[in-house]
Amino acid sequence: MTEPVDSAPTASAQDNAPAQPPSQPATENPPSQQNLPIRDAKTAKDKGPAQSDKQPAKGKDAPAPAAGTESGAAAGGDKPLTPAELKKKAKADKAARRAKEKIERDGGAGAAGGPASGAGQARPPATPRKDVAPGGAAQKGPKAPLLRRGSHGGGSAAVEQKKKKEDKSVAVFGHLYGQQRRTTVAGAGKEVHAAVLALGLQLRDYVVCGSSARCVATMLAFKRVVESYTTPLGTSLPRHLTTHLSHQITYLSTCRPLSISQGNAIRALKLAIADIDPSTPESAAKNTLCEFIDSFIREKITVADQVIAESAAQKIQDGDVIVTFAGSSIVKQTLLQAHHDGKQFRVSIIDSRPLFEGKNLARALANAGLDVQYSLVHGISHAIKDATKVFLGAHAMTSNGRLYSRVGTALVAMSAKERAGGVEVPVIVCCETVKFTDRVALDSIVVNEIADADELVSANAAQQVTGLPDPAAFTAPPIDPKKPKGGKSASSAPTPDPVSSERVPSPSPLASWKDTHNLQLLNLMYDATPAEYVDMVITELGSLPPSAVPIVHRMSTNM
Amino acid sequence: MATPTDSTAAAGAKPFDIVATYNELLRSDPDLTMPIAAIEALVLLLTHEPSSTISETLDLLAKSTAHLKKAIPNPIGLSAGTDLFQRYLITTLQRPGQLGPAGDFKAIRTHLLSNGRLFIRRAKESREKIVAFGRGFIRDGCTVLTNGGSRAVASLLQQAADEEGGPSAVRFKVIYVLSSISKDIEGPSGEPEGMETVRALRAKGVPVSTIPESAVAYALGKADMVIVGAEGVVENGGIVSRMGTYQIGLLAKAIGKPFYVVAESHKFVRLYPLGQYDLPIEQHVVDFKTEEDIAQKSKQQAVDSNADSPVELPLEDSVDFTPPHLISALITDSGVLTPSAVSEELIKIWF
Repeated sequence: MTEPVDSAPTASAQDNAPAQPPSQPATENPPSQQNLPIRDAKTAKDKGPAQSDKQPAKGKDAPAPAAGTESGAAAGGDKPLTPAELKKKAKADKAARRAKEKIERDGGAGAAGGPASGAGQARPPATPRKDVAPGGAAQKGPKAPLLRRGSHGGGSAAVEQKKKKEDKSVAVFGHLYGQQRRTTVAGAGKEVHAAVLALGLQLRDYVVCGSSARCVATMLAFKRVVESYTTPLGTSLPRHLTTHLSHQITYLSTCRPLSISQGNAIRALKLAIADIDPSTPESAAKNTLCEFIDSFIREKITVADQVIAESAAQKIQDGDVIVTFAGSSIVKQTLLQAHHDGKQFRVSIIDSRPLFEGKNLARALANAGLDVQYSLVHGISHAIKDATKVFLGAHAMTSNGRLYSRVGTALVAMSAKERAGGVEVPVIVCCETVKFTDRVALDSIVVNEIADADELVSANAAQQVTGLPDPAAFTAPPIDPKKPKGGKSASSAPTPDPVSSERVPSPSPLASWKDTHNLQLLNLMYDATPAEYVDMVITELGSLPPSAVPIVHRMSTNM
Repeated sequence: MATPTDSTAAAGAKPFDIVATYNELLRSDPDLTMPIAAIEALVLLLTHEPSSTISETLDLLAKSTAHLKKAIPNPIGLSAGTDLFQRYLITTLQRPGQLGPAGDFKAIRTHLLSNGRLFIRRAKESREKIVAFGRGFIRDGCTVLTNGGSRAVASLLQQAADEEGGPSAVRFKVIYVLSSISKDIEGPSGEPEGMETVRALRAKGVPVSTIPESAVAYALGKADMVIVGAEGVVENGGIVSRMGTYQIGLLAKAIGKPFYVVAESHKFVRLYPLGQYDLPIEQHVVDFKTEEDIAQKSKQQAVDSNADSPVELPLEDSVDFTPPHLISALITDSGVLTPSAVSEELIKIWF
């Protein structure tokens, strides 16, 4: 496959690169090609043709890391480098560094020493080859990673590990596995404000969770950013602040993908920044922006929530049984408002693993004096049996009227609409217009968010009362710092008492899922509920059918 | 706060009774729809009441509207008119220009009133527009099933019939569903609603068959389409209409016949019912009784007949709600709309 590519540099290299002994036995070539790992083959494809096209005359420079440094060193030994060559060498070094970083990311610690040691060890076998080969084929960029790879002993382990990891992503959702979520603030740019750093980790750990809460928290953090911002010399605030903000935004999005509401808020803020006249004094401009942020939060979230809660509460009548899913803040506000209005109704909360957001809602409503029933999503058919209305929160509403919300919402809506042998139950969505998007969702596959699959593993085991010495039945929760907040707040699940804890806690059966063959865990965050399952969307602008979402979105963004 | 508002209300109620005016308007002009009558009553109120400030005007309007809504058993139709008028007033008053808040209020007032009349005239013209849009739906040789006493439907059918013999001769038949509930005690000979239209159509040579409501499913096989009127078009595109429309809609859906609604755009109401029992109306269509209850009720009626119980909709005036998924299209004066386009129209009016 690399054969046709080889020919061009071979000819040119002979002219321009005397430093490299132009020799490689033809017999050696095929095995080395077989050695090409998949990823390197890709680089070969990318870089090989480009190089052969563009730089036939200067074929000696190697864009790939190891060969680049090596050839540079070799060249340096023979004759002084021209500035252009130095530049190229620097470039190659950079590429090497990048490749190394990439390997560290991809292959884990096993491959850490890869490039350096690999290049060193690669020398002896490579040199004789070059002596015999009828061209500088070894110089070719694509070959360099091959050398690195083939040599180091830990390499195979790294590859194995990598392969295993790839297996663990569910194929249909492969496009959603982006980079790993950031786990520390290390490596964040120096431009990132402390408030944003903290917020990023809070978002990651679901301390700040829920579309509205994330939006508000982001805006407040950005207010801090704006407050502490000083325009550098030689630029103007409207021009520079946007780029400064985008550093913060990039950091936030590496912690957890941004929500639709965050995106809308950021877009509004950027528009507000762009609207500022460059001649405005900095303090005045910053005041304007802070006021903008405050009024954005007030208008789009705080007051909007009140309006929605009031109008949604009017839809609740005496004797209703309200079913809701997970823990939406706006639904909570609605139910509390209705209770405050003196309505007599019951609430049935349906919750799901692994976030258990409904537990907080259940507690809050029960504390307020409401009649609350709590069940998990597998009890849906039972819970929906005597429901009269379904209230749902939203992560976003798409332009085709679909509701994009916590995974499981679609199931609840469908159960309500297709209830066997009963009148269908109205499904009401409470959603601020800031969560409307002009995107279209046809399913939950194309656009979604995948959370750490380990969240599914760590679950509190049921308390064992009988004390049977069965280690399989007793599974103490592994102490997992990554455990979501919802799980921790599960105060209802009692902590293991000292007597039982002296038994050896056996981990959850899923704990070793990464080492189990043919086992993949999928932890999706959202799903899309078809518009037919939604009867009504209550926004701060009024009640709408889901088909009116794009119109309202257009109007609310144009204003 | 109580005294000034009470006095305004009293002042508004004594020399000018909005409820009586509204009822009188409806009685005097059979062509008048409820929203238009409400608007006309409000315009008359404004001409009678010497209000001198904007807020006073709006306050008076809000109070009279509330009063009117409370007094009328089915306020859905009229609330479309009052809401529209109020909205119209507010936007006119807020609009900057020569009539802006700084201008002479008297000028604003006369402007408002003359515009209010214009509003009424335009609303009355809308029926002709509907006919223009809807004429194409009635094709040669088709059979239309309709019900109730909608003036919009009647004028559409009559206009279509008028063309017979003309250049675009449309020959069509009508199946008219007549309500079995005895209707209109004070009306002429207590005949069911819609008989007048039936007679008018027959006079124009259109073959009309009248069937009871129980025969709708049986007769639908012979019909090509269903055209009904509406009392109000609600935000999700459904309609509030004469009792029995919902079942016709369900049957038409089941049999696969198109179900068209003819309604003026001033009948669009800012209301979002979630189902049959979510309407802001007190009606007891389903009323469970035992012998004991009946005896008790007659006794109670004898005792306090003059107690002011909440206004209840009489059975023959009861309405039901036809959800949007049963409606093929709405023929309105702003065009032929799908149910989902109604909310778009409403949003355009309200935001």
